[in-house]
Amino acid sequence: MVQFEEKDILDIMHEDLQRALKKPRNQRRWAMAIDLKKCIGCHACTTGCMSENLTPPEIHYRPVKEEEIGEFPNVSLRFLPRPCMQCASPTCTPVCPVTATYVRDDGIVYIDYKKCIGCRYCIVACSYGARSADVGHYFTGDMKRETYEVENSGEYGKTFKRKSHWHSPIGNARKCHFCIHRVEKGELTRCTTTCLGHATYFGDISDPKSLIARVTAKANTFRYKEELGTKPMVIYIT
Amino acid sequence: MELFGVILPEKDRLSATVGDILRGKGGIPLYLSMIGLVVGFYAIAAIFVKGHAHTINTNNLVPWGLQISTYVYFALLSTGCTFVNFFGHVFFEEKYRPFASRIIFVGIITAVAAFFSLATEMGRIDRMYMFLVSPNPTSPMFWMAVWYTCYLIVITMEYINIQRKRHSHRVMWGAFFTAVITHSTLGSLLGTVSSRVYYYSALMPIYFLFIAFLTGCALTTIIAAHTVKRMNLDATYHLSPFVTLLKVGLGLALLITFWRTTIGLTGHLPGSEVFSLTLINSFVFGIVVVIIVPYLLLKMGKGANWLMFVGIFIMATQLKARNDLVVGAFKIPVFRVYDMPEVVHYTPSIYENLVVVASTSLVAMLYIIFNRTGVFDPRPDKEVN
Repeated sequence: MVQFEEKDILDIMHEDLQRALKKPRNQRRWAMAIDLKKCIGCHACTTGCMSENLTPPEIHYRPVKEEEIGEFPNVSLRFLPRPCMQCASPTCTPVCPVTATYVRDDGIVYIDYKKCIGCRYCIVACSYGARSADVGHYFTGDMKRETYEVENSGEYGKTFKRKSHWHSPIGNARKCHFCIHRVEKGELTRCTTTCLGHATYFGDISDPKSLIARVTAKANTFRYKEELGTKPMVIYIT
Repeated sequence: MELFGVILPEKDRLSATVGDILRGKGGIPLYLSMIGLVVGFYAIAAIFVKGHAHTINTNNLVPWGLQISTYVYFALLSTGCTFVNFFGHVFFEEKYRPFASRIIFVGIITAVAAFFSLATEMGRIDRMYMFLVSPNPTSPMFWMAVWYTCYLIVITMEYINIQRKRHSHRVMWGAFFTAVITHSTLGSLLGTVSSRVYYYSALMPIYFLFIAFLTGCALTTIIAAHTVKRMNLDATYHLSPFVTLLKVGLGLALLITFWRTTIGLTGHLPGSEVFSLTLINSFVFGIVVVIIVPYLLLKMGKGANWLMFVGIFIMATQLKARNDLVVGAFKIPVFRVYDMPEVVHYTPSIYENLVVVASTSLVAMLYIIFNRTGVFDPRPDKEVN
């Protein structure tokens, strides 16, 4: 495992985060790096994300794809976690007819649940399949709903209760938002903290001293579907 | 401006028609459409009351389903009616005149019926006002809404002008170009989606216009054939323009469908395999059944009843073709993970099917009622002020 300054990387990223939060928002640039060699495919990030954002069935902000690479007998398994890429030039935001989704000045691709009309055009347009439609499914089905299914998820730092299909975020498009409600309180994203192999890095990439800026300034990185020109802010390390 | 008897049916004729309906003299098509409307509205109400989770089979893999296909279908039908109205007035003036008001009226009600279907697909229909308070000019969907509103206004003006015997060439040309702009924008709504290879094409706006022309020709042929029978008009004389337009429509549809499929097959982008996956359906159904068979049927007869059958055949096959187009884009998932299938299949729920019934029944019922009141029939009077 790569060691930095003899410290746990979570501590380093936490310090980076505090430093970034002292800057004006428009001078931050949130990014995520995922070291594919460290990812063990445990899905802790997926489940951590679900409990953090109280996502309903079939909605995964951060699924982990298992890819078989090579041909028998030279095969190996690679795990590819896929959060929202928070593209600097996304395909999803220009198509929204009511400006309910847009790129914030800190790079977060934001969804305003109170504006979203649920037309699903952004879901169709997203090049990464990172958006989902919340149609109102519950884990408990038609039985009595558990509190965790309707309570405040706190996404985007706001109060939303999934009480019925007339209450957002039901009816809206949903996606990963880099746990911006946690980040703005000085906490790292949930997937970063739950990652068993410390494979996920998060921080302000515009800060050259930050860990994420250092780990991504290497040749062995790629951005998923970079050729589309979407400028994704999730960087994979191989 | 006189409302009743010109734009709407005369009050006494309308009361007589309602009386006939209540006495059981409405005719089977009218009662069927009324039953369809009741059942369809029940489905629409259920979608709003129960929510999408309990009524609709669209999901994250297939975000747009039969309701969007139905919206596209009816929007294209409306455009087609406007196109036929334009070409009818320009090229076949005398032969076309008895059908003008009927056809443009159906253009209006199909555009309205399209909204019924669209409304049920929206996650938060109660926020449609956001189009006004928070518009996004970069979105084709926003522009579609703008142009669609303009289109409805212009074709309503065209209908009023025809009914008042003050047909304006300016409004007619305006309706034609607004239809072209509106429905090519609808085509661009899909054509600009670069993440879905099945949609992403500069051909898409033109495809929409050509298919609109064909479906519009089919619908207007049914209306014309029915009117010819009802008014005892010379079928050969009055229906010949519709046969000509149908042949042109089939030719244009053949051209655009063939090239769209062929160009798609040559693609090597991620997801291009959808064109090979749907190849048999595209050629056997999309070309042979939808275009070649109707052309052969047209060669077999020109009678009013036969043309009505051909029109219904084209309209039915086109509804499936629109669903194939809209849903086809989702066959290959953009990001396949967990237990997602390699090829996604989608079957609409009963509620989604009933939304189609509601939209169809609305158009059929309004047309039959208006037609029975005689509001479209020629009047001896001159201009109506």
